[in-house]
Amino acid sequence: MAADLLVADRLTRRFADRVAVRDLSLSVASGEIVALLGPNGAGKTTTMRMLAGLVLPTAGRITINRVEVTGATAGAARRAIGLLTEAPGLWERLTVRANLLTYARLQGLADPGGAVERVLEQVDLADRAHDLAGKLSKGLKQRAALARALVHQPPVLLLDEPTSGLDPASARHVRDLIAGFRQDGRAVLVSTHNLGEAEALADRIAILKTELLALDSPPALRGAGEGATVSITFEDGTTQAVAVTDLADVPAIVERLVHEGRRIISVVPQRRSLEDVYLQLVGAEP
Amino acid sequence: MNPSWQRITALARKDAGELARNPGAILPALAMVLGALFPPFLVVVGAPMIAGRTLEESGEFAGAVDAIPVIPELAALSGNALIQAFVFHQFSLLLLLVPVVAAMSLATHAVIGEKTSKALEPLLVTPISTVELLMAKTLTPFVFALALTWLAAVLYLIGIGVVAEPGVWQAVLGARTAILFGLLGPLVTLAALQLSVIVSSRATDPRSAQQLTSLLIVPITIVFVAQLMGAFVIGPAALLLGAVGCVALNAILLWIGVVTFERETILTRWR
Repeated sequence: MAADLLVADRLTRRFADRVAVRDLSLSVASGEIVALLGPNGAGKTTTMRMLAGLVLPTAGRITINRVEVTGATAGAARRAIGLLTEAPGLWERLTVRANLLTYARLQGLADPGGAVERVLEQVDLADRAHDLAGKLSKGLKQRAALARALVHQPPVLLLDEPTSGLDPASARHVRDLIAGFRQDGRAVLVSTHNLGEAEALADRIAILKTELLALDSPPALRGAGEGATVSITFEDGTTQAVAVTDLADVPAIVERLVHEGRRIISVVPQRRSLEDVYLQLVGAEP
Repeated sequence: MNPSWQRITALARKDAGELARNPGAILPALAMVLGALFPPFLVVVGAPMIAGRTLEESGEFAGAVDAIPVIPELAALSGNALIQAFVFHQFSLLLLLVPVVAAMSLATHAVIGEKTSKALEPLLVTPISTVELLMAKTLTPFVFALALTWLAAVLYLIGIGVVAEPGVWQAVLGARTAILFGLLGPLVTLAALQLSVIVSSRATDPRSAQQLTSLLIVPITIVFVAQLMGAFVIGPAALLLGAVGCVALNAILLWIGVVTFERETILTRWR
C-alpha cells in the first residue's frame, strides 16, 4: 500500500468569527491524485494554503512527506511541496528560464541550471525557455507555472485550478502532464470546479463545503446517495423513468408491470452523474 | 535559522533583472538626480549671469564667512570662491533626496511587482524565510539607490570643478561631503527602503503606500530649507549626529519589520 505523503488531520481555520474550513481530514498517497471539489467560498483555497504552509490552521495537524508541519519543520515541509496557483504568477519581464532559475536557487538546488533544463523538458517547454514569460499564451504560462512547481521535484503537488481559463487543447495538455505525476509517485491534490476533469483525472474526489461532505472514488461517489433511477422501455416504444430507493426493488417493479400486461423491451439502471451527486451534496439546485 | 545568502541573492538578482527591464521604476530616481543637481548650479552660475554681478557682489550669502568654523574646508577660500563653496555645501544636502526617491520608487515597484504579477504565493511556498524575503527586497534597490547617489555626487563634484572658481571643488570634497555620501547617504537609503517595504506590505493600496513613504522627504527638505535660510549651518559634526539618529531609526524600522511581518500577513496584504 502506498504511503500517505499528504495528511490533513481535523483541520479547522477561522477568520475572525467566520469558519472557512471545519474539521477537514484527508490524505493523499504516493501515486494518487485527489480532486478537491466545492462551490465558491467552500474553503478550497484556504485548504490549499493551509497545506502549503501559507496559512496556519486554527486547529488540526498537517503531515507532509511523513513530517508533521510545525514552526520548526515548516521550511523543510515547503521543500516537499510544489504549488501551482490559479494565476500563473510568473515574473513577466523575465524569460521562462530566468523565472525557473530563480526558483531553483530559492529551493537551494545544487545544480539549478540542470534542474531547469530537466523540468523544461518534462513540461515540453524547452523550446520556449528564452521567451519572456509575459509573451507566452495562457496555456504556455500555465505549463511554465507547472514547471516552477516541479523544478525541485517535490513529492507533493498542490494544484489550484490548473486548467482554469485554458482552451480545450491546452487544458488537455496540462491534464496529461498531471496524470503523468501518478507514475512519478507524487501525491497530487487538485482543486477544481471542473467536474469532468475531476472525474477523468482523480483517483478520489473530495467534496468540500466548509466541511468535507464526501471523499471517495468517482464510481463510488456516483453510486452513493439516496435512490436511483431505472429507465424502462416498453414494446410500444414508450420509455418510463422509475425512481427507486434501492436497485434491489427493480425485479419487483418489473414483475408488477408484466403482471399488468405491459411488454418490456429493456430495463436499464441510470447511472447518476457526478454532477448530480455533487449538487445533491452541496445543496445547490441543478 | 540563519539567513541564506543563496536565497537572498537569488531573489535580489531576479529583482535586478526585472528592474533593468522596467524604465518606469528607474525614471523617477533619474529625474531626482537632475532635479537635485540643477538648483545649485542655477544659483552659482545662472543667477550671477542673469543679475550681471557675482554672488559676492550681490551680498546674498554674506553669512558664508560665519560657516568657516563649522565647515573648516572653507577656511582656505575667500571672496566669491568662498561663497560658491558655501552654496555647494548647502545644496549637497539636496542630493540626499536622490536615494530616498530612488528607494521609494524601486522598493515600491519591487513589492508591488510581486502583487501585480500574483507571484507572491508561489514565492512564499519556497523555503525563503520572511527575514530573507525582506533582505532580498531591500538589497537590489539599496545597491541601485546608493550607486545613483554616488553617481550624482561624482557629477556634482565634476560640475563644480568645471564651473566654479579654483579651489572650490577641493573645499567641497572634504569631511562633510564624505560623511554625507559615505555614511548618511547609505543610512538614509536603508531607512527609506525599510519604510517603503514595511508600508507597502502593510498598505492595501500602492498609492497610499507611496504617499506614506514620501513622508521621509519632509524632514530632509525642512532641514535643507532651514539651513538655506540661514537658520543654522550643518557641518560634519551635525551630519555625524544625523547619522547616529539614522542608525537608531534603522534599528527601530528593522524591529518593526521583524515583529510585524508574518507570512500570512504578507500573503493577505501583498495582493
